[in-house]
Amino acid sequence: MNAPGRHESYVLEDGEKPVEVMEDTKIPNAATIKIVKQDHTLGNMLRAQLLSMPQVLFAGYKVPHPLHPYFLIKIQTDGTVTPQAVLEQACTKLIGTMSSLETKFKREFSYKDVEGTTGGAAVATGEDPYGTTGGAGGGWGRGRDYLDF
Amino acid sequence: MFSPSHVTNQLSLVTTSSLCIPFEIPDEHYITTMQEDLEPTVRIRELKKDRVNFVLGNVDLAFANSLRRVMMADIPTVAIDMVEIETNTTVLPDEFIAHRLGMVPLISTNCDEAIRYTRDCICLAGCAFCSMMLVLNVACHDDNTMDVTSDHLEVIPYQQADDESLLPEDPGEELSKRTEFFGHPVGKHEQGVPPVLIAKIRKGQELRIKCTAKKGIAKEHAKFSPCSAVSFEYDPYNKLRHTTYWYETDIKAEWPLSENAKEEEPPRDDEPFDFNAKPNKFYFEVETDGSLSPQEVVMKVHKRLALV
Repeated sequence: MNAPGRHESYVLEDGEKPVEVMEDTKIPNAATIKIVKQDHTLGNMLRAQLLSMPQVLFAGYKVPHPLHPYFLIKIQTDGTVTPQAVLEQACTKLIGTMSSLETKFKREFSYKDVEGTTGGAAVATGEDPYGTTGGAGGGWGRGRDYLDF
Repeated sequence: MFSPSHVTNQLSLVTTSSLCIPFEIPDEHYITTMQEDLEPTVRIRELKKDRVNFVLGNVDLAFANSLRRVMMADIPTVAIDMVEIETNTTVLPDEFIAHRLGMVPLISTNCDEAIRYTRDCICLAGCAFCSMMLVLNVACHDDNTMDVTSDHLEVIPYQQADDESLLPEDPGEELSKRTEFFGHPVGKHEQGVPPVLIAKIRKGQELRIKCTAKKGIAKEHAKFSPCSAVSFEYDPYNKLRHTTYWYETDIKAEWPLSENAKEEEPPRDDEPFDFNAKPNKFYFEVETDGSLSPQEVVMKVHKRLALV
C-alpha cells in the first residue's frame, strides 16, 4: 500500500541532483560527496580507484542505510588537488579502464566467433557443462592458447 | 534479491609470473611493473550458447566485483510483469500461476533499443513501444494430465485499451529494432530445448490468461536478471589469506582446489606471507537464462558502468 515505487532505488527523480558535495570544515582538503541512486557497485569501485591515486590521503565510502538509495564518499587529498577534482580524475580513469576492457572483450569475442560458438546449441541437450565441445576454448591448459593466431 | 551466485573467496599474488600464458608473452604486459598502469587483460576460455568463462587480469578486486554486480543486477531484460487471469480452473491459485509466469525467461535481444521502460514512455499504462502482450489459452480435454508450459505462451500484437487510443502517433522506431522472436519464451522456437513447466491440468480444467511483459532490471525484481549464475573466483590457493577453511587434519590435503588452480603456481612451502599482495586475476563464469546471450551480457556491462 505504501510501498515505494519499484524503480525509485535507481532512477533519479525529476530535478534531483545526482551528486552533492559537502566540504569538510574541520579537516583540510577534505570533502564528503553524496551520490544519489547509486550503490556499492559504484561506491566500492570509486573508493578503490581513489586509493590507488598518490594525491589521495584518505578515501572511504558508506551506504548509511540499505533502504536509502545513496552513498557517501569521503575524500581527503594532500592539497595539490581538490577532492572534487580528484574524484573527477578517478571517474575518468575508471571510464578509461572500462573502454579499454570493452575493446579487449570485443577482440576476444570476435576471435571466439570464428570457431567455437557454432557448436553451442549442444548445451541445451544436456551436455557436460565443462565438456570439450566448445571448440578451442574447451580443455584449459591444453590445445591452442588464445595467443596462437 | 539477486539470482544465485556462488562467490568463492580466493586470491592470486601480484607476481608477474603467472602460469597461464606459457610462451607468447606480449612484452608490454610483463616489462611494466606498476600494476595500476597496466591495461586490463581478458582471456575467454570457453564460449557457449548460454555461458562464457573468462579470466580477467590487471584490475583490482573492487573493479572485478563491480563487473559481477552489474552483470547480475543492472542489465535490462523483458519479463512478464502483469497478469490478467480470465479463467483459472486449475488446482493452483491465481497468484501462484502469476508468479510462475513472471519467472519465465523471454528473449530480450537488443533490449536497450527495442523496448522502452513504461515509466519513460508517453503512454498512460502501456503501449506497443513499452510492453509485449502474451496469451495463454489451454484446456485439457484428454484423460491424461496435461503439462502447461512456456511453449503455450503466444505473443500477440499489443492491444490498446479503448480510452488510450487517443494518444498521438508515436514516432518511436523501437518496433523496427526487434528481432524476430523478441519477447517470445526462451526455447520456444528451438529444437531440443525443454520448455518451462507452468502448471499441470487434468480433464475439464482450463487456463485463460493475458500477460503483459515489460522491461526492467534485477534491482526491481530478480526475474529481470539475465544471469542464472555468475561464478567469481580469485586466488585458488588462498595465498592472500582472504578466507579460512575448517579442516580435519591437513589443510593442504583438504583444501578444495578448483579447476582455476591449474592457472596459478602453487605456493612453495617456505614462501613467506606477502601481506602487500593484491589479487589481480579473476575467474568468471557467466551463465545466462537465455534471455540474452552471454556475449550481450558482458558487452552491455561497459555501457552500464560508464553511465554511472
